[in-house]
Amino acid sequence: MTVRRFRLSERCFASLLILPVFLAISLVVLFPLAYSLWMSFADVNLLRATGPALELLGLRIPLFRYVGLQNYLRLLSDPLYWDSFGRTAYFVGAFVLETTVVGLGMALVLHERFVGRPVMRSLLLIPWSLSRVVVGLLWVGLLDVEFGALNGFLYKAGLIDRYISFLKSGFSALNVLVSVYMWNQAPFATLLLLAGMQSIPIELYMAAEADGAGYWQRLRYVTLPALRGILFLVLVVSTVNGFLMLDLIYVLTMGGPGNETTTISWLGFQTAFQFFKFGPGTAILYTLTVFCLLLTVLYQKVMFRKLEAEEA
Amino acid sequence: MPPAMLRRLASRTVVYALLALIALWLVGPFLWLFVTSVSYQRNLLARPLAFIPPEVTLDNYRMVVGVVRFHAEGQAAKILPSMLNSLIVATAVTVVNLVIGTTAGYAYARFRVPLKTFSLFALLFTRMLPTVVLIPAYFLLFRALGLQNTLTGLVLAYCSFTLPFTVWIMKAYFETIPTDLDKSALVDGCNRLQAYYWVVLPVSGPGLVASGAFTFMLCWNEFIVAQVLNTKLGTTTLPPVIAGMNAQINIDYSVIAASGFLAALPAVLLVLGFQKYMVQGLTAGSIKG
Repeated sequence: MTVRRFRLSERCFASLLILPVFLAISLVVLFPLAYSLWMSFADVNLLRATGPALELLGLRIPLFRYVGLQNYLRLLSDPLYWDSFGRTAYFVGAFVLETTVVGLGMALVLHERFVGRPVMRSLLLIPWSLSRVVVGLLWVGLLDVEFGALNGFLYKAGLIDRYISFLKSGFSALNVLVSVYMWNQAPFATLLLLAGMQSIPIELYMAAEADGAGYWQRLRYVTLPALRGILFLVLVVSTVNGFLMLDLIYVLTMGGPGNETTTISWLGFQTAFQFFKFGPGTAILYTLTVFCLLLTVLYQKVMFRKLEAEEA
Repeated sequence: MPPAMLRRLASRTVVYALLALIALWLVGPFLWLFVTSVSYQRNLLARPLAFIPPEVTLDNYRMVVGVVRFHAEGQAAKILPSMLNSLIVATAVTVVNLVIGTTAGYAYARFRVPLKTFSLFALLFTRMLPTVVLIPAYFLLFRALGLQNTLTGLVLAYCSFTLPFTVWIMKAYFETIPTDLDKSALVDGCNRLQAYYWVVLPVSGPGLVASGAFTFMLCWNEFIVAQVLNTKLGTTTLPPVIAGMNAQINIDYSVIAASGFLAALPAVLLVLGFQKYMVQGLTAGSIKG
């Protein structure tokens, strides 16, 4: 009797459990996402809510004047957008590379046997758990041209005779942003990779050793192939995070000097919230959203393939 | 010494040298933040720089909490109230997540949900979505709703990036609990809701701790949304206040470091305290997809 009731209302019960989250997601994600998309096709005037409006539950949601593709067309002919695009590509590429290499390097060292392993793993969580605002100002303390500890160290060691201004030139500032963000994010990649390494059967290593494989050969033929899935995950997640990075730019460079650390996400943020041009701003941010959608599709395809392979 | 032992010794030395380097890389900057926060600015400006501070002081902290008056005390006076705001927002979002996100995670782990593939994809996309693209919409919607400069507005906005994670982590966690547990509860006469609430939830502590701590951390650390939406004095959270101090050139770095350290400490302690569960929960949630 109980078993029959279980079958009958299963879908209904499951739907009820999911309903609150879907209402919430629709309300705080899907609807705002659609509204932002609309704004990217509109001439948004924040002071005067002109044009038609959406009347919803007694609320008046302004729709402004529809201008078609105007915001996007202006954007595509704006050299600043393409410059930012190029910088974003560099930023994402360098960030993904650094995160993967440093994340994997730390994981390989931490996977060795040594005294104090749990402590080292805890340390991994420190950079990752900090607010990016704190991460930014903490690196100011290390890199500043007047009181930076790294400058102090180099000066003391006799390697420089004047403190370096790391954020003064655009290219150097961009690389500082990459590395600081990597400091914050690579530990999480390390955690994922360590979890992956722990699930590699020890027999594989024993077999490799019996065949006379040294450390690097074991890494090349046993460890890395087994970590393929997680490395892919790290690549996708760090690519998305690279595209979206905003808070560190705010704290460290504000997109400057000039526009030399202006990425697409910063350009969109600045256009929308410093110049209060919501139309062009949302258009810029939507080009970013499309990238994320594409990456999600890619990620899901690979994940599903992996899941099917596991089930087979 | 035989060559095998020598080689072993050499490899041990390399491992420990690398470990020391990694440890310095991971905690050095954070420790330096603490050092600067208990130093006088004049000692930070000295050349050569002393890595062990010649004078230790709590003055910076006194300024931050408003015990000692100084020229930028108006800025510093915002810190404690904004910390309270951060606490309220982060706690509220965590509660919402644990209540509604957990039940959804349970449904995904156990049942055939309508539109399962599509809705899971939507959640995954939400997880990867730039939150900043939603802010213009929040800005206008909250203005219409009168939620601008309110903590309620922030709680709603923060649910957008925390809920997908909670559902994901809890789904992965519930999948590790054997279904026999629910089934035997049903046989014993529980209805499905009772089975979930009285039998499954009580053994889900680690998953709940993982997603709760992670949600709290994300909200405590969030900066951009609070910076844009809550601009009125006294309505914002801690990160925008600290970023605002950082942007003012007339405030000594040592004072900013003290406020930064205060902002960092709760998140760091939370994560270190619950690290076992968080690492398990997050890796399972990420790897299992």
